[in-house]
Amino acid sequence: MSNPSEDVEVKVASEGAQNFIDSYYAALNSTGARTGLTKFYIKPTPTAPAEADISMNGNVFANPSELQDLFEKQVTKAQYDVHSFDCQVINRNYNVGADESMLGPDKDGKKMSLLVLVSGAVKYGEDGDERGFTESFILVPNWDALGPKAPKGLKKFLVASQNFRILV
Amino acid sequence: MMKRNAAPPTGPRNGSSTIRSKGGIQKRRNGPVRVDKDGDLDMEATNEKSKAGKGRLDAPSSSRGAKAGRGGNAQPRNSLVTQKAQQAILRGLSTDQASIRESRISKGNVYLKVDGLKSSKAASNPDGGIANLLSFLERKAKPVNPKSSKKVKIKKSSKDGDSVIITTSEEDSEAILKLNGFNFAGSDLAIQITTAPKLSSHGKKGEKKEVSDETKELQDKLKGILSSRYDTSLKLLNLSNLGADPGLIAIGIFNETTEDVSKLFPALMKVCDSIFTTKAQKREAIVSVSLADNSLANVSPVTTLAQTFPDLKNLDLSRNMLSDRRALEAWRWKFRKLENLVLTGNPIETSDPEYGPDLVRWFPQLQTLSGIQVRSPEEVAEIIEKAKSPIPIRGADFRDISQVAENFLRQFFTLYDTNRPQLAAAFYDNDSQHSISVNTAAPRGANNSVPTPPWADYIKHSRNLTKITHAPAKMARRHKGVEAIQKLWSTLPATRHPDILTQSEKYLADCHTLPGLPDPTGQSPYGVDGLIVTIHGEFEEDANSISGTSLRSFSRTFTLAPGAPGGPQIRVLNDVLLIRAWAPLATPTHVTTPPPLVNDQQKASIFAKLVEMTGMTPQYAELCLNDTAWNLEQAFVAFNNNKDKLPANAFLAPGTTLQGLMP
Repeated sequence: MSNPSEDVEVKVASEGAQNFIDSYYAALNSTGARTGLTKFYIKPTPTAPAEADISMNGNVFANPSELQDLFEKQVTKAQYDVHSFDCQVINRNYNVGADESMLGPDKDGKKMSLLVLVSGAVKYGEDGDERGFTESFILVPNWDALGPKAPKGLKKFLVASQNFRILV
Repeated sequence: MMKRNAAPPTGPRNGSSTIRSKGGIQKRRNGPVRVDKDGDLDMEATNEKSKAGKGRLDAPSSSRGAKAGRGGNAQPRNSLVTQKAQQAILRGLSTDQASIRESRISKGNVYLKVDGLKSSKAASNPDGGIANLLSFLERKAKPVNPKSSKKVKIKKSSKDGDSVIITTSEEDSEAILKLNGFNFAGSDLAIQITTAPKLSSHGKKGEKKEVSDETKELQDKLKGILSSRYDTSLKLLNLSNLGADPGLIAIGIFNETTEDVSKLFPALMKVCDSIFTTKAQKREAIVSVSLADNSLANVSPVTTLAQTFPDLKNLDLSRNMLSDRRALEAWRWKFRKLENLVLTGNPIETSDPEYGPDLVRWFPQLQTLSGIQVRSPEEVAEIIEKAKSPIPIRGADFRDISQVAENFLRQFFTLYDTNRPQLAAAFYDNDSQHSISVNTAAPRGANNSVPTPPWADYIKHSRNLTKITHAPAKMARRHKGVEAIQKLWSTLPATRHPDILTQSEKYLADCHTLPGLPDPTGQSPYGVDGLIVTIHGEFEEDANSISGTSLRSFSRTFTLAPGAPGGPQIRVLNDVLLIRAWAPLATPTHVTTPPPLVNDQQKASIFAKLVEMTGMTPQYAELCLNDTAWNLEQAFVAFNNNKDKLPANAFLAPGTTLQGLMP
């Protein structure tokens, strides 16, 4: 096995980022779907005990549940609009949290970690002003979705780091 | 658009004589006139109240009289309402406006029923042959006006049993009807006009017209009833006791049974929606609604109220059959601006007496619940403010390790402005990646008139993946390795970034550690730790200058990792740059509280302690304390972080006592 070719790398990365952005912001924009917000994030395991690192406007969240809580209780309504995003591969063979049997490279790009930078506008509440935001994510493989026996329909990438800023 | 002088002085239904002659209003007049005024909806608009222009629901008084005299026959006190005000209220209730809308709708589309697809050969296609059929019809139908260059177009299609219902313009429908009997894939088509697919799949043109006339007549009647139940000065729509409304009974919708509310109510709301075209109009015209005395066991029959008037401030549900909070649950996420809710006279008062806290939570701006204050206006103001900015903006979240990110940023922008080849050599290697994206639509804040210089220099490199969808472009706009990155930088305009030390307020940077970065030595399969650094700021360009200003804003995210042997010690793995039109950085709303001022006596004591703890000379101790705002703890941390770098003469000779040094 070998690492993915550059073509595969770029294709899988941009598709992964696109899928993530489409579903993540849709979840933030719908009051009903926010209850599933934690599902976008990595979960601590014995081999990789760290929670996702979430920093929003300089506020550090201890874990994704805290963020979900904020969105469920404080954010009555939100409308995020993504104007642009870009994505680069960080590590073609990311192994944090991977099972020992999976340490080798994957030519299909399923083991990549990604850096995604998003720029857009957000409106909170009914009469909120349109604010500009920039958000960067580190996406890493969802180990539960890899392997021949993995259930279908799981998210392929999960958030390991998130840095959000209202800028305007 | 109002004909102010044409208003009959008697009522609000000016301009709709048809309603007056046969609508329900006349009949309503014969009903009992509402006399009691101890209820929740105060119809007795005093001048003061009308000036306030606010709908108002008075708290129910405990001495409420018999339920009997109440009922839906509450008539707006026209005598108290000025003619002018009535016209203003009824702005939207004029039939002129409504008929324009209707004609626009009815003229727009014609529905055609097409049969014969099922017996055609195309029926075995994956989509049942619909796509083939539609393109066949569009292709074969000749425009009625042969000179017209417009092609026949089918706007919509849907299946109804074996038939296909298509929607076209009136003109196109004539062309398509001529295809009746044409052979399509071995089957003869039968095409005829039908009604809108959801209403009925049968019917002829004549019938359809009849239906719409009937509907229009009914809508006019409902409009008349609504207008008679509208109080201009209070901006109140009084929909109480609908079951006893003689007008509604006359129409035949009600057989004096209240179950019909669930049928009637959505129709009433539809009429309201047709009257007011914008949310703002609704907000302006209707502040309060009463649904008292409608025998509602829950709000589901009237749930559409929340769609039609989402911004309602006052809602009266007095004297219904609501027995617990679940009866109101359908509105849990609605009425986000409701200030006053009245549930007096419902079984809930005794059967679910603890309903209060839940309802207060459900309606974030609720101030008064059944006459009791549950929130102060200040609390509501705070909630509104919080809703607009739910995540407080704080200063930098800069969790650096050994000042790696800080040192990197200090050098980065200076070098980027003055010597890009040196920058590339100092921090980038052959694994480094760089790309630029441009967001030309980013919000710029109010009152920002700084012109935006042309984007051309950046757009051609922009890797905004919402726009760049082809693989070759995605590849070409990702620059990997020192050489490629340096080549790109050599084509970009020269820049001037503010000095990061003296103008730090023009930057905002966050950083934290990141595991799992590729190990350049290849030793650790789990990768090495590094940092992710995101910095937001602005820069100027000499090129592209517009009348002296050429500012842009940017956000830039780096991943920093240990470099490979022989390369830079700290390398940039990823460098993602986003450029947008200039806007000043949002200022933190939650500033970390400045340390309390320290007086001289406290300073002396802190100073003595630090010298004692660290063994530094007074000069160095004072430098250290000045840097950390005389915070002993921070000074000690700073000392520990830097003690290896301090020169030998920063420390006191062994055995020196502080006392001997003090002046």
